[in-house]
Amino acid sequence: MTRYLRNVWRLRHFWLALVTMDLRRRYRRSMLGVGWSLLHPIAMTAVLCTVFSTLFAADVRTYGPFLLAGLVTWNFVVTVMSQGCRCFLDGESYIRQYPAPLAVYPLRATLGAGIHLLLGLLVVLVFVWCLNGFSNVPALLSLVPTLLMLFVVGWSVAACMGVINVMFQDTQHLTEVLIQILFYVTPIIYPAELLRQRGLDWFVAINPAATFLELIRGPILDGAVPSPATFALGAAAALTSAALASLILWKTERRLIFYL
Amino acid sequence: MPPVPLIDLDDVGLMFRVRRFGRVSLKEYLLHGLFRRSKQSTFEVRALDHLSLRIEEGDRIGVIGHNGAGKSTLLKLLAGIYPPTSGRRQVRGRISSLFEIGLGFENDATGWQNITYRGYLQGESPKSVRRKMQAIADFSELGEFLEMPVRYYSAGMLVRLAFSIATAIEPDILLVDEVLSAGDLAFQAKARERIRSLMSSARAVIVVSHDLGALAQLCDRVLWLDHGTARRFGPKQEVIAAYTESFAAGAQRSAA
Repeated sequence: MTRYLRNVWRLRHFWLALVTMDLRRRYRRSMLGVGWSLLHPIAMTAVLCTVFSTLFAADVRTYGPFLLAGLVTWNFVVTVMSQGCRCFLDGESYIRQYPAPLAVYPLRATLGAGIHLLLGLLVVLVFVWCLNGFSNVPALLSLVPTLLMLFVVGWSVAACMGVINVMFQDTQHLTEVLIQILFYVTPIIYPAELLRQRGLDWFVAINPAATFLELIRGPILDGAVPSPATFALGAAAALTSAALASLILWKTERRLIFYL
Repeated sequence: MPPVPLIDLDDVGLMFRVRRFGRVSLKEYLLHGLFRRSKQSTFEVRALDHLSLRIEEGDRIGVIGHNGAGKSTLLKLLAGIYPPTSGRRQVRGRISSLFEIGLGFENDATGWQNITYRGYLQGESPKSVRRKMQAIADFSELGEFLEMPVRYYSAGMLVRLAFSIATAIEPDILLVDEVLSAGDLAFQAKARERIRSLMSSARAVIVVSHDLGALAQLCDRVLWLDHGTARRFGPKQEVIAAYTESFAAGAQRSAA
């Protein structure tokens, strides 16, 4: 185990260089650079805000930041799932050449998505600050453990999806469907209270995406440190997913090449 | 006391399980696999079979055999890319390998960038890559093409770049798979020279090639693989002679 992690660390220059390249490649393709990838959630927010404020008379000052924070976080989930599917296929030529620990490849996918998330959250912070200001700045510190846990979940999801996709080639298409469904059952464009009012507390609790949305929105939008119970749910998600991913990688580490 | 081997393969076997109709889809698996055994038949390919091999300090070993005899598989197993499905593989020392070097480029990145990625993968640090970068570039003779994304390289240029990166190493145990034919004629001569010098500095070398003449020059001992098993392993003249003889016998038989 420690030897495995040491190997991952020894190759840090390799995967860090690939992450940098992935980011650079994404930005160089467009004139807007970094802005381009942030444009998507911002545009979505603008459109949905207009629709909801006219249809349901939602208050833009509260709904706008709520939506943007949700979409930025959701973006991370989507990227991790879809890029994660491809992570070993993208690294196939390296895998065929050099016995690097497989954990490196989902790491590449997750780190890239993580940097996007950070940039997106920065935009959210600026947005909130301009609109409403922060009532409780120290609460923002609670984002640090939240993001660390989210990153662990992201890596685990990417690793699992990657392995499954190597074994079953249609995983990627099924994932797209799954993402669509998840988008509607997760309180992204509507508040979690809507579900809770209908007695669907358990449904919110078992959805890690909902938990992390709450953990991220709480301090940014309301200046409130999330409840220990919510943190516990996030930690549980991180631990179980990491355990599952480690188990899957441990089982397939040496055999995956036969399926590539 | 006998010297400790650098590589010790003990009764190693490697079995590939090949599906008759390519990969299974998840839908298929969920629909069929859960209820009854998958209908898809698999067949097994025994790529290596009960192979034992000890490679010691200073060994220069050539591997011969017809296509599909398991030569490349053996190298990949030695490199740690394929795990043995039975038996034991023990390696002491850092392995550097020259095979499938044409793979593993990031198409959108420039030649320079690809040099760093590949360097890092080979275990270099940023400092050592920077130190070697110019030498790699010079050897590849690609000049200002290195500023271009690899996507626009010709096949020959890719091979040059790959070869230059892959051989910019201080190998401990060196595995070579027929890369002696890289690029145009002038580059081939240079490449052969580079491989010779690498081989002379490595602690042990294993070369796979169909070029018996080259093997006779480069190696001390030769392993003749036949359907994944060691048909013969010993001093080069003996094994190469037996190998060519078996071919002559085969040719006679088919002529008769």
